[in-house]
Formats: sequence, structure tokens, C-alpha cells
Amino acid sequence: MNRITLYIIIFLALFSCKKSDPPVSSYQPTPYQIVIPFRFPTQLNIPDDNPMTVEGIELGRMLFYDGRISGSAHPDSMMTCATCHLQSRSFECGIDHPKYTGGHPFGVTGIPTPHYMMPMINLVWTHTGYLWNGKIYPDNPAPGIRHLEDLVWMAIIAPHEMNSDTNKAKILIQSISGYPEMFQKAFGSSTVTVRNMGKAIAQFVRTLISADSKFDSYLKGEVQLMPNELNGYVLFMTEQGGDCFHCHGGEGNPLFTTNLFYNNGKDSVFTDPRDRYQVSGDPSDIGAYKAPTLRNLIFTAPYMHDGRFKTIDEVIDFYSSGLVWSPYVNPLMHHISSGGNQLTPAKKADLKAFLLTLTDSSFVNNPAFGMPDLP
Amino acid sequence: MNAPIRSTWIAIFGILFLTAFILNGCKKEDPAPPTPPDFGGISIQFNHVFNGIPLVLDSLAWSDDFGNEFEVNELQYFISDVRLHLHGGGAYQIGSSDGIHYVDARIPASHQWYPGDQIPSATYDSVSFTFGLSAVKNLSNRFPDPPERDMFWPELLGGGYHYMKLNTKWKNDSVPELRPFMMHLGIGQIYDLNKPDSIIGFVQNFFFVKLDSSAFTIEAGKQKALVITMHLDRWFDGPPNAFNLAILPQGIMQNQPLMHEVCLNGRGVFTCQLPTAN
Ligand code: HEC
Ligand code: HEC
Repeated sequence: MNRITLYIIIFLALFSCKKSDPPVSSYQPTPYQIVIPFRFPTQLNIPDDNPMTVEGIELGRMLFYDGRISGSAHPDSMMTCATCHLQSRSFECGIDHPKYTGGHPFGVTGIPTPHYMMPMINLVWTHTGYLWNGKIYPDNPAPGIRHLEDLVWMAIIAPHEMNSDTNKAKILIQSISGYPEMFQKAFGSSTVTVRNMGKAIAQFVRTLISADSKFDSYLKGEVQLMPNELNGYVLFMTEQGGDCFHCHGGEGNPLFTTNLFYNNGKDSVFTDPRDRYQVSGDPSDIGAYKAPTLRNLIFTAPYMHDGRFKTIDEVIDFYSSGLVWSPYVNPLMHHISSGGNQLTPAKKADLKAFLLTLTDSSFVNNPAFGMPDLP
Repeated sequence: MNAPIRSTWIAIFGILFLTAFILNGCKKEDPAPPTPPDFGGISIQFNHVFNGIPLVLDSLAWSDDFGNEFEVNELQYFISDVRLHLHGGGAYQIGSSDGIHYVDARIPASHQWYPGDQIPSATYDSVSFTFGLSAVKNLSNRFPDPPERDMFWPELLGGGYHYMKLNTKWKNDSVPELRPFMMHLGIGQIYDLNKPDSIIGFVQNFFFVKLDSSAFTIEAGKQKALVITMHLDRWFDGPPNAFNLAILPQGIMQNQPLMHEVCLNGRGVFTCQLPTAN
């Protein structure tokens, strides 16, 4: 090396303020950018330690559909997320599930899940906690119960789900040729860990965005709603119909949920050990659950955390005349003292017509969310 | 060293010097420009009291003038266009976050507002603001994210955002079961018939609040703390209107005459204090 080159190098090194580049490695995942649909919120719930990547999402989709994540390769005890979360039912299990009669899932050993299914769409905008009671939230003092990622180990060990153990799960996945390479591409290490399984599946779940309903097109000014749908929308947004929007959103909040927790007046006695009160410790949360999104209702019967209503009509009848008083009912249920909003049959039909404009068929048919070819 | 080599050296050092100069530009250490000596800052704290007692949510601790007992379950509101009025005329208007601040009784961080404004140091003799959002600021979809988003007001009822959601439940000796009463303020409607599809006009219900406070001085380079207190009892008891929860409807949305009466009370709901430590 001649002297001049040496000087140049020293000089540049002295003045350069760049941090030296990390050593080049074969680990170069492709960043994945979520496209925010029209009027959707801009703040995404993506933990800093799990950025979205094309490779991570692809791996997550495999694992989501691969029964071997339960640590078993035997057909009778294989279970995976997609056993209960079916794309054709907007990732709930559906009232017509071949195995889970009436839409109440149970684990590999037959133990029923404590609650029925809840929406698993648009979760990248959930900041208030996952599950019906919001038990999985970022500030949870209990580590390991904070993020979407954590649902994976929880599902593997839950007696009412896979009833397995995380060691078995990761050993089995590690042994399947193809997976170690995918873990390498997604996370820079071919060693399968439950943490990385959780990260990959969470990345996939965050891509499950449903925002292509007739109502979305209406908001964008692309289509007009039918008169009965519009009437139903007016009911949804006003006193006359029960001000559904205060808890379930509307044009100013197209998630169709606030993601907050309310007691919506179904009962007078509360015995569920998994209501919101168990998480918040606030007595006003007794009998409260997260208001679910009203998108894709057509696919997601039965309704409410305990699946008590089999049809949308039953839900509308409930809000019309089935409300039950208790000291815990949220004041936004302001028709409580008259038992409901007292809709006529014609208005009930209109309200239902509006709710059905929130159906997104392209979502349940989107091949990107379907069953992939497994390694 | 011969001449051609020397000139190469000069050229190389010239380039190196330039490179160094450019590279140096990406250093982060530039200190923030010092606050000009004639500006200060402000912080505003929002307090909520009921008959002088600090508000406790979800507690059956309050009563109106007619003896109805009630609890407050939510209190959420916007204030905007805060102005500091100069002694002798003129005013400074806070411009940070578009001049809008959202307060939620359940979100402690929202009880403190630190606008980043550089406020001319001077003696000011009062504070004023808009309760809610003025017509110019009350634009639909301006807040895509919670919690402000969840204040949205239906488009067909005038759009924009609730100025306030004050959700309560009350009871009395003859009505022993808690019943909801929601004091929601926002744009009002004029109905031809009493139906949402017969709206013929809208009413802006936001109002201007001017708080008399002892004069305060913004000192150069210092932060002045103001405290704005909402006296919740005055929403219900006035002056001028004393409401009996037992005979009010369950809410006031879509009821412009009642929203108007509530807004009259609202003008007297706030006071401003300077913490003694100032
Ligand atoms: C046995 C059926 C079953 C299996 C298997 C299952 N789930 Fe679930 N899942 C449920 C039920 C039931 C709920 C609602 C639980 C509750 O809140 O009580 C739920 C809730 C969720 C939620 C919360 C959604 C929200 O809006 O907060 C997510 C996310 C989720 N599951 C992801 C997964 C993933 C990922 C897997 C695979 C690792 C999985 N589930 C496996 C039944 C199942
Ligand atoms: C006070 C808030 C609140 C209001 C107002 C409200 N809901 Fe709900 N809604 C909820 C909560 C909370 C749940 C879930 C309760 C549970 O699972 O036990 C729910 C559940 C539902 C479900 C079932 C969804 C599912 O996936 O299981 C439907 C449908 C529904 N609401 C429609 C409506 C309609 C229509 C209106 C207006 C007439 C309305 N809601 C008003 C809070 C509210």
C-alpha cells in the first residue's frame, strides 16, 4: 500500500461518523410494509423486536397451518391454529364446523375452550390487549403474556388447545427438512425456537387485514348503499337504533370496534372467571368483554364470548328487547331501562342489511392467507 | 519532492478536507439552538373535581341538586385554541398539536399538556380556550388513531368529533336501579320531524371560555405551569341550569335544545389557577 492511500484511509476513518457496517451475512430478510387501508388507523402494533419480513410471514403461514407445531405427527393429536381459525370463517371456526358442534372448539383431549371464538382480523391495530378479556397486553407484569407472539406458546401448552409441550414442538419442527432453512432465512438462525415460532406466526397473523367490504367501497365513494342498507346505517349511528357506533365504530373508525371492553347487558349474574374484571381488577368491568369487530359477521356465528346467539337476527333481537339490567351495564347501553332499542321488524331487517355490507369475501378467498404447501 | 507531486498532494488534501467537511455534517451533536432570551414555555394541567372533591371514576359518590346520586364512568373532552391574553390587549395562541388537546379521565398522561410553544415573555392576565373544536378545526377523520378517534361524531349528525363524552349512571329513592345518562356534546341538528332523516340544518355548539386568573408572567427561558380545573357539578347544577337527572332523557345527543342548555352551564365549568410554587 502506498503512503497516499494510507493517509486517505486514516483520514477518512478519523472523520467518518458512520458506524461501521455489520459484517455481511447470508441473513438478509426482505422487509414487508403493511399498506394501511382507507381511513384505517396509522399506528400499528408491531413490537420492535419482530419487524415484518416476507420470509417471516411465509414461515409463519406454514406454521399456522402445520399440525406438527403441536409436537405430534400423529393425525389424531395433530392440531394447529388453523384447526380452529378457518380462513373460510374469517379465521373463526364457524357454527357449521365439522368437528366443533355449534362452533364451540375443544382441545386435542376434548376439553372445551373456556370461550367461543373471536375475530382474528385486523389485529395489527389492536393496542388494548388480545383475547376477549384483553389479558395479553404490553404492560402485563407477567412476562410472556404481552404480545401476539405469546399466543403461540400458550396455544401449544393449553389443555383446551394443543395440550402439548414446547420442547416437543420445537424438536419436531427442527427435524422436518425445509424448516431449519426457513428459520435461517427469517431469523438468521436455523435453530428452531418457540420464540421464533411465535414471531413468525405473529407476523403472518398481522397480515390478516380485512378492508374490502361493500361498506369500504361506499366510504371511498365507489358504490352507493341500497336504501335498506342506508336505513340500517342510520340506525347503527343514532339514538333510534341504539348508538352501536359508540362501541363498534363506524365511518370515523372503520375497524368497527373501539377494541375496548364493555358490559353490554346480557346477564344479571356474573360467574365467568375470565371476564375483563379478572384482568383490570376494576369492579365496573364485571361481565365486560372486548367489543368485537362487526366485520365479516356472516362468517363468524355463533356470537358473543359464550356463543349464545346463533344468528345475526338473534343478536339484533337481543339489542332490541333482550337487555338485562345489572349495576355493571355500560352506560352506553342507554336503552337498558326499556330492555332495548325496540326496533320494528322492518328496522331490524334494515340493521341486518347494513351489518352485511361489512362482509369481505375477497378476504376469505385471498390465496395469500390460505393453506400453503408444507415442507 | 518535485513540483507535479506537490500539486497532487495539494489536490488530495483539498479533496480530503472537503470530504471531511461533508462527512462531519452528519454528526448528531449539534446542540439545540438556545431558547431566545425573550421566550418561555407553558404547561397546562387538567384537574377534575366535583363540589371541590377530586373526581373518582365508577364511584357512586356524587349527587345533583335534586338528590339523585350518580357515578361518572367516562370523562373525555377536547379543548382547543388556548389563548393567553396580554395585559393591555392582544393574545398569544398556542399552536402545538394544531392547538388541540384531548383529555381523558382514564389516561393520566392526558391530564398534562406540554405544548412546545415558544411564548413571548410578558405579563398575561387571563387564559381563554374553545371547549370542543371550533367549526374550522372540527374536521371529520382528522384523528385516525385512538383515543381521539373514538370521539368521532356521526357524519349524518354533523360529523367531526364529540366535544365531550361524560357518561354517568344515576339512581334515587324511587329508581333504585342505576340508569345511564350520557352528556355527549358535539354538533347539533335541527330536525323537521323527530327523525334522523329529516335533518334540515346543523348547529355548532362549541363555545368560548375565558378564565379570569390573577395575572401571570411568562419569564424568559422558564416554564410556567397553569392548572385548569373542571368543576363537574356545574355541568349538572349550573348556573344557569339545574338539571334533574330523574327527568332528563338518557342522553342529550340529537337533542339540540338540551345540548344548548348544557353548553350554557359549560361556560362556567372551568377555573384556572397558578400553582403557588410558580
Ligand atoms: C382449540 C381451538 C384453538 C386453537 C388450536 C387456536 N386457537 Fe386461537 N383462539 C381460540 C379461541 C376460543 C379464542 C378466544 C379465546 C378467549 O379470548 O377466551 C382464540 C383467540 C385467539 C386470538 C385472539 C384474537 C383477538 O382478537 O384478541 C389470537 C390472536 C389467536 N387465537 C391466535 C391463535 C394462534 C396463532 C394459534 C396457533 C398457535 C391459535 N390461536 C390456536 C381457539 C383456538
Ligand atoms: C356498550 C357498548 C356496546 C354497544 C352500544 C353495542 N355493542 Fe355490540 N357488543 C359489545 C360487546 C362488549 C360485545 C361482546 C360481548 C360478549 O362477547 O360477551 C358485543 C357483541 C356484538 C356482536 C357479536 C359479535 C361477535 O363476533 O360475537 C354483534 C353482532 C353486536 N355486538 C352488534 C351490535 C349492534 C348492532 C349494536 C347496536 C344496536 C351494538 N352491538 C351495540 C358492546 C356494545
